[in-house]
Amino acid sequence: MSAEAETLADAAPALPVGHYAYDQVDRAFLHDRVEQFRDQVARRISGALSEDEFKPLRLMNGLYLQLHAYMLRIAIPYGMLDSRQMRELAHIARTYDRDYGHFTTRQNLQFNWIRLEDTPDILARLASVDMHAIQTSGNCIRNVTCDQFAGAAADELVDPRVHAEILRQWSTLHPEFSFLPRKFKIAVSGSPHDRVAARFHDIGLVAKPGHGGKVVFDVFVGGGMGRTPLVGVHLRDNLPEEDLLAYLEAMVRVYNEYGRRDNIYKARIKILVQALGAEGYRARVDAEFAAMDRARYRLPPETVAAIRARFGTPDLAAPAGAAESLAAARAADRAFDRWARTNTHPHRHPGYVSAVISLKPDGGIPGDATAAQMDRIADLADRFSFGEIRITHMQNIVLGHVRQDQLHALWQDLRAVGLATANIGLIGDIIACPGLDYCSLANARSIPIAQKLSARFASPELQETIGDLQIKISGCINACGHHHAGHIGILGVDKKGEEFFQLTLGGSAGNDAAVGQILGPALPEDATVDAIARLVDAYLVHRNTGERFLDTYRRLGAALFKDAVYAVA
Amino acid sequence: MDVRNNRRQAGGSSVVTANRLLDGRIVWLAEDGVWSDRIDAAKVFANDGPQGGSERGSEGGSNGGIESVIAAVAARQQADGVVGVYGVQLRDDSATPVPATVRERIRAFGPSVHPEFAPFTEATTNVR
Repeated sequence: MSAEAETLADAAPALPVGHYAYDQVDRAFLHDRVEQFRDQVARRISGALSEDEFKPLRLMNGLYLQLHAYMLRIAIPYGMLDSRQMRELAHIARTYDRDYGHFTTRQNLQFNWIRLEDTPDILARLASVDMHAIQTSGNCIRNVTCDQFAGAAADELVDPRVHAEILRQWSTLHPEFSFLPRKFKIAVSGSPHDRVAARFHDIGLVAKPGHGGKVVFDVFVGGGMGRTPLVGVHLRDNLPEEDLLAYLEAMVRVYNEYGRRDNIYKARIKILVQALGAEGYRARVDAEFAAMDRARYRLPPETVAAIRARFGTPDLAAPAGAAESLAAARAADRAFDRWARTNTHPHRHPGYVSAVISLKPDGGIPGDATAAQMDRIADLADRFSFGEIRITHMQNIVLGHVRQDQLHALWQDLRAVGLATANIGLIGDIIACPGLDYCSLANARSIPIAQKLSARFASPELQETIGDLQIKISGCINACGHHHAGHIGILGVDKKGEEFFQLTLGGSAGNDAAVGQILGPALPEDATVDAIARLVDAYLVHRNTGERFLDTYRRLGAALFKDAVYAVA
Repeated sequence: MDVRNNRRQAGGSSVVTANRLLDGRIVWLAEDGVWSDRIDAAKVFANDGPQGGSERGSEGGSNGGIESVIAAVAARQQADGVVGVYGVQLRDDSATPVPATVRERIRAFGPSVHPEFAPFTEATTNVR
C-alpha cells in the first residue's frame, strides 16, 4: 500500500461505508461547477442565453424539461449512498419538490417538479454531501452501475465498487468522451451471477480473480435495449486490471471515431458493433490498444489500492447464535418468514444478510419514495447497516449488512412505514419507467399498468405460487423500463394519440440474457391487465414442477400464451 | 418540436401552450394574451382561421391560421417568460377545451397517478 493509501487507511473510521470518500479537491470541483451553473441559469433567465444555447448546459447538470416541469436526475454512483446523503435527498424532496423522489433503473434519483430557479441551490445542497448531477444526461459516459450486493454477496468474486469508482473518475469530464455520438452506459459485476444486466449495456464488465488472484475482466460490448434491442457481444476474457482503462479507452475511442452521428437512432455502439461485426470491431479495438501509449493509461495496483482505501468498510461482528436467533424469529412469525425468504440475499459473512426494501407496495408507484420514507430508511441504515444504502436497478433499496439477529427488528420498523412488501423477484416487483405521466418522450403511461398489475397480484400466497416472474414496463421504445428484458415485457405505443400496449415474452437480463419476442398486436389500456392475468393463468396450468415462467415459455413457445392473450381480447 | 405535439386537422380547433421558463410548469395562452396555468382559460383558435397569412399546414390541412399564431407567440416567448411554444389540437365534442391526445390531456389535467397534482381542482383528472 502506498504512503497515501496508508494515510487514508488510518482515517478509516471517518470514511463513509460503501462509497468513495471525497477530499477537498473533489469538493472544490463540485463547488466551482455549481457556481458555473448558477451563472448559466442567471444568464438564461435574463435572456442572455437562448433556450437552444442553454439546453446542453442544463442537460450536463442533469436538468431536463419534462412534461409538467423540470426534472432533475441526480447521480448515485454505482447505486451507493450513505444515510447523510439520503437525508439530504429527503430534504430536497420536501423543500424543493412535492415530497417524494423516484429511484430509477440507472440507480439514480429523479425529482419531477423542480424549478429552474432553485436548481443551483439544490446542486449546492447536493455538493454539501458530496453529490451531484453530472453526466446523468447527455452524450457522454453515464453513471456507472454495479451490483446492489457489491461487497456483501456470498457469491461475489471481486468487489466491483472499486472499479466502478475508477471508471467514474476516468469518465467524468473525460475530454475525448464528453461529446460522444450518443449516451454510453457501463455496468460492472463481480459475481458469476449477472445482477447488473451486463449483457444489455454498451460495455458490460464481469470481474473475477485471474492467475495469482489478480483481478481480470470478461468484457461484453454492444448490448442495449431501445428501438434496436441487442444482447452484447462477448468481446474478450481475462482483461488484466492494469489494462482496464487502456482497453476501455480503446473501445470508446473506436466508437467515438466510427460511430454514426448522422442518425440519432443509429448512433449507439451496438449499431457500430453490428455493422463491423464482432471481429471487425475487436480488430479495430486491438489495433488502437496496440498503438496507444499504454503506460499513460496503465492502472497500477497501487492506484487501485489507494482508491479502495477511500472506501469505508463495515466492522462485521455478529454474535454467535445470530443465525439461530433469525431462525427462531422466522418460525414464530409467518409474515416475517415470507419477507425474509423473498427480501434477503446471502451475505459473505456469517451472521449477516443483505436486506432488500421493496419500493413496490401493492398498487404503488415503482421506485417512488416519500421524503419521510427516505428519512426513515436513513435512520434504519444507521441502526442496522453502518449507515450504508444501495439503490438497485430494479428500483428497490438494499441495506447491505444486516445482522441476522436484528433482521426481525428491521422488518418491524419497515412494516410500520409501509416498506415491508415481500415481493422481491416476484410478479409484484415490477420495473416501470415514469411513462407518459411524466416523460416527454413517452407514448403511453407505464405507472398505472404497474399499479393495476401489482394490485391484481397483491396476494403474497399467489405471488409465491407464481414464483420468479419479472414484469418490466416501458412507456416508449427507448425502453427505460427494460421491457425487452422482462419475462413479460410491456411496451406503450401511441395509436392516433391513444395508449396501446404491446407484450413481449421471454426476455431476460441475467446470464441467459435474451430479448423478448413480440407476442402479437398491441392491446388497449383497459384490456392489458386482464390479458396478462390470462397469460399467467396459462403458465400456472401448463408449467412443470419447479419451472419458472421463463422456463415454461422457452419449453412451450409463444402459441399457448398468444391464445390466452388474444382469445377474448 | 416533436411532431406528435403538432398533430392538427383542418377544420378543428387548437389552443397554444408552453412551459414557464422559471419553473417549467405548463401554461396556456389566454384570451387576454397572458399565460394561464388553466386550460379552461385558454383562448381557442380555429386551425384554419383568419389569424395569419401563412398558407402552410402542419399535416396537409389548411392550418395557416394557428401556425401563424404559434409563430407570433414563439417570437415573444423570452419576453413572456415561457419556452417551447406549440399548438394543441382539441376534441370537437367538448364544451370546454379538452386536448385530443392522451399526452396533452395529461399535460392539461396533471399526472393521472397523482390527481392531487392537477393544476386546478375542479378539472377532470380522467385522462381518457
